[in-house]
Amino acid sequence: MTDTRFHAPERLDEAIGLLTADDEARPLAGGQTLVAMLNAELLRPRAIVSLHRIAALKGVERRAGGSLWIGAMTTHSALAASAELRGAHRLLAEAAARIGHEAIRNRGTIGGAVAHADPSADYPAALVALDAEIEIEGPRGKRSLPAHQFFRGFLTTALEPGELVTGVVLLPGPAKAATRFEKLARVEGDFATASVAVVLGLDAGRVTSARLTLGGCGSVPIQSIEAEQIIAGHTLSDAVLKKAGELLAAAADPIDDVRGTAAYRRAIIPGLVARAVRSALAKGAA
Amino acid sequence: MNTPAGPIGQSLPRLEAAEKASGAALYTGDMVLPGMLHGAIVQSPHAHARILGYDLSAALAVPGVRATVTGDDVDYRYMGLVVKDELAIAKGKVRYIGEPVAAVAAVDIETARRAAALIEVRYQPLPAVTAIEEAIKPEAPILHEDFAKYAKIYDAPTNRGNILAHSVATQGDPGKGFAAADVVVEATYQIAAQYHAYMEPVAALAAFDPSGKVTVWSSTQSIFRTQANLHECLGMPMTKIRCIAPRVGGGFGGKSEATVQPIAVLLARKAKAPVRVVLSRVEDMTTMRSRHPGWIRLKTGATRDGKLVARECELWFDGGAYADDSPAVMNFALFFVRGPYDIPNVHCEGYAVYTNKLRAGAFRGFGNPQMSFASECQIDELAKKLGMDPLELRRRNALPKGAKWFGGQEVKETALVEALDTIRERAGWAKPMPPASPGKKRGRGIACMAHSSAFLSTGAIIRLQNDGTIALQVGAVDIGQGSDTALAQMAASAFLLPVEQINLSTPDTDAVPYNSGTNASRVTYMVGKAVGEAAGKVRDQLLEHGAAMLAVKREEVALAEGGRVVVTGGSRRNAEVSFADIAGRSIWAVGGPITGSSGVMAQYLMDQGHTKMSGWLSFEAVGIFTFGAQVVEVEVDEVTGAVEVTRAVCVHDVGRAINPGATIGQIQGGFVQGLGYGLCEEMVWEEGRLANPSFMDYKIPSALEVPAEIECVLIEKPEPSHPFGARGVGEPPLVGAAAAIANAVADAIGKPVRQLPLTPERVLGAMLKP
Repeated sequence: MTDTRFHAPERLDEAIGLLTADDEARPLAGGQTLVAMLNAELLRPRAIVSLHRIAALKGVERRAGGSLWIGAMTTHSALAASAELRGAHRLLAEAAARIGHEAIRNRGTIGGAVAHADPSADYPAALVALDAEIEIEGPRGKRSLPAHQFFRGFLTTALEPGELVTGVVLLPGPAKAATRFEKLARVEGDFATASVAVVLGLDAGRVTSARLTLGGCGSVPIQSIEAEQIIAGHTLSDAVLKKAGELLAAAADPIDDVRGTAAYRRAIIPGLVARAVRSALAKGAA
Repeated sequence: MNTPAGPIGQSLPRLEAAEKASGAALYTGDMVLPGMLHGAIVQSPHAHARILGYDLSAALAVPGVRATVTGDDVDYRYMGLVVKDELAIAKGKVRYIGEPVAAVAAVDIETARRAAALIEVRYQPLPAVTAIEEAIKPEAPILHEDFAKYAKIYDAPTNRGNILAHSVATQGDPGKGFAAADVVVEATYQIAAQYHAYMEPVAALAAFDPSGKVTVWSSTQSIFRTQANLHECLGMPMTKIRCIAPRVGGGFGGKSEATVQPIAVLLARKAKAPVRVVLSRVEDMTTMRSRHPGWIRLKTGATRDGKLVARECELWFDGGAYADDSPAVMNFALFFVRGPYDIPNVHCEGYAVYTNKLRAGAFRGFGNPQMSFASECQIDELAKKLGMDPLELRRRNALPKGAKWFGGQEVKETALVEALDTIRERAGWAKPMPPASPGKKRGRGIACMAHSSAFLSTGAIIRLQNDGTIALQVGAVDIGQGSDTALAQMAASAFLLPVEQINLSTPDTDAVPYNSGTNASRVTYMVGKAVGEAAGKVRDQLLEHGAAMLAVKREEVALAEGGRVVVTGGSRRNAEVSFADIAGRSIWAVGGPITGSSGVMAQYLMDQGHTKMSGWLSFEAVGIFTFGAQVVEVEVDEVTGAVEVTRAVCVHDVGRAINPGATIGQIQGGFVQGLGYGLCEEMVWEEGRLANPSFMDYKIPSALEVPAEIECVLIEKPEPSHPFGARGVGEPPLVGAAAAIANAVADAIGKPVRQLPLTPERVLGAMLKP
């Protein structure tokens, strides 16, 4: 016997209206976090607004100018298998493939995961490395934010009351790119103890641009412009990679938790970064 | 299909395979009775506090609430197997965060939970101790002020504060032994708390009948321990307590003693309606049990040529807030202080300590995995120092047949050398390993293990049914390990019948003979022994009746396949009579119903002349040793320290494998649980609060963490003391697994990691240590 109301609107504005009207309402996407929290009695929302029937949140579309729009309700397994994710965008498929287990990937959605903003989850670091735009709609209309501005802290985003993530836009990446999502987890399916998302722009075998982002190493995805600058355009010697890794380790702000201590995370970041960059290059341009 | 020996030795599918695979199997949490209420618990937020009072008014005002229960509803009646120190529900004090302090029964679980949240308990917080080192300080707060008054089954320390057990044992002359040693290694090994992680969280359903008798269905490893605990903590006579186990989803030791049965009974009595209590995973993890954490300091001496001559051990186990099986687990760890080796001079001391945390209790291996981790790692450290092959060092020191166990019991059979020779071959021990993957270091490690199969007492009743089939009544609960099938196979073999003609009873204290419990790798051995004896008695009656009906001498008849007694010689050769006809004769005409019963007790004498022991429980009801060896190969990530087990070979002496498929399943499952213990499972407390009480934060290995094949080799040396030749296999595969992995990691990185689990962080820490 619960007093939680359940809504399943067909239109996005209806959903936004329901969420705006009741600050104790929660949107339900794939349910992989929300349902677990309900079961653990960490949440008892007055209403649940299911997003499953809203067509506007579904699909993956190529847009003019070569960017790719991914509907918020797209599942992790759909992204992991998506042929639309090419070039630099492969990074997102690699990250999606490492989320949880198959059953979770079949239900969980990118919109839900992004809005939940767990810094140890796999999408945030990948989306920041891809300079993705997070598409938002709320009672005051539509807006979009670059991923690195969207993630504000532990389980905290730029979303205002009543706002929903409606999609993710991947801008065209480098013409030739190599990617790698490197993740350390205690067991397969766990959240990352630490992860590294890498996108390298390549031209005639040279690294022309680099985006490196850490997951699980702070309350938001961690970047280091300096680290990216020393990788782009330089010969990737061990010393250069080490330097980049150390810069990222210095930028990181990890905590002690059951997955590992902050000191351990700092200690492994340089090695993980070097491995991620080397793996990306070894795979070559996609 | 049947061989003349019947279905023994065949990998028959589980009797209940179809119902489990289809989801039809009935577990306690699936059961519903008319008018049944749902129970929810209230847990202590304090690690240590005096209970000042309760305000139940808000909870009772919730529509649908039928009853509440608190410490005010019980007397100071204590229960427990080893120390009687636990009440049905907290009264007077709470001693750990999460301890059930009140409960509610309501028309549905949501109402019960909501009402439970409205119960107000007033506490006076007390200083708490959440680590061994704090608990043993002279000024430490005392958890159990009445410890001296508690009933116990061992010689407990007095006036030792929170130390609830202290045991000492000496064999030979350790001083002389170490003096004769050319090489000595000494180290301290840290061991972590592992959660049982059974698939089914604990559950109980209690219903009173109009006569005042309560029936309790629960997820338990022992209906008789459940009955005894209810009797002790509620003061009800056993004539009024009936305990039944429906299907049980795993136990691993965690469901040996009381769980939520007392609370379910209290609620049912007060609400005057059936009440079902099913804990959530978080509640289960915060209120039940763990494997004992603690530390072991171990010192071993050997001569230059690799003969182990002396060992010294100091062991400390954190028992948590209630004793549960702690003294027994600690003693059992010391019982394996030598491992399976012939070490002539040994001194060991063990302690179990109360702390304000979850109680630690029985867990697959019962102290032996902790001791084996220390011992088997140390053997490798010793081998390294001696410049000797670790397998060879083990082989050279294997306890021979006829030698005495630590404590003085005779080891009547051993297959350890055979296991080592088999594994050397099978694992390619002498051959180089495949090269390591890029960025990884590869290593190989070995561990041996010994364990026991016989424990305590049990009985069996076998009845010939009217149609010639067999009813088998035993008190053993199949908790998922497959004992029902194994026992049915044994009974079927005794009568040369297919298993389909064996009717195995549901464990029910109203209907089956006593059995101590499904633990200690004992069901196949002990209950199988009782089945063999009872079957013999029924077989004798079948032959007597058969001979009379066929008008031949008793010596001229034998059992034949298909439920027949057949004349084996003479002029009436091949004349036969069916079991059904014999049953008819017995119940309608001559002799009375054919029934055979047995009661067996494990008894193996200790020898104080061999090992002087003080402060111990008696282990004379423990015996029949079994041996094995495991080899694993690992890859260690050079960047992160993460360990992947790439190969596992397990060689175990199982006596006769009653069901080889199930036996291999036990070995693989045991190894995997040992892999979790070795690499990733650790309950972590922060100031008395469990920091990872869910499967999101507490990680057990999945199929993806396990090598593609866990290679199992069964050594089948039939156990002479068992009617079907079997020995226990439930625990041995776990006992040495963590040590084998740790030894492989040490081989890979060149340094030992002496702390469980071997997390990437700990392994990397060892790698980076100068």
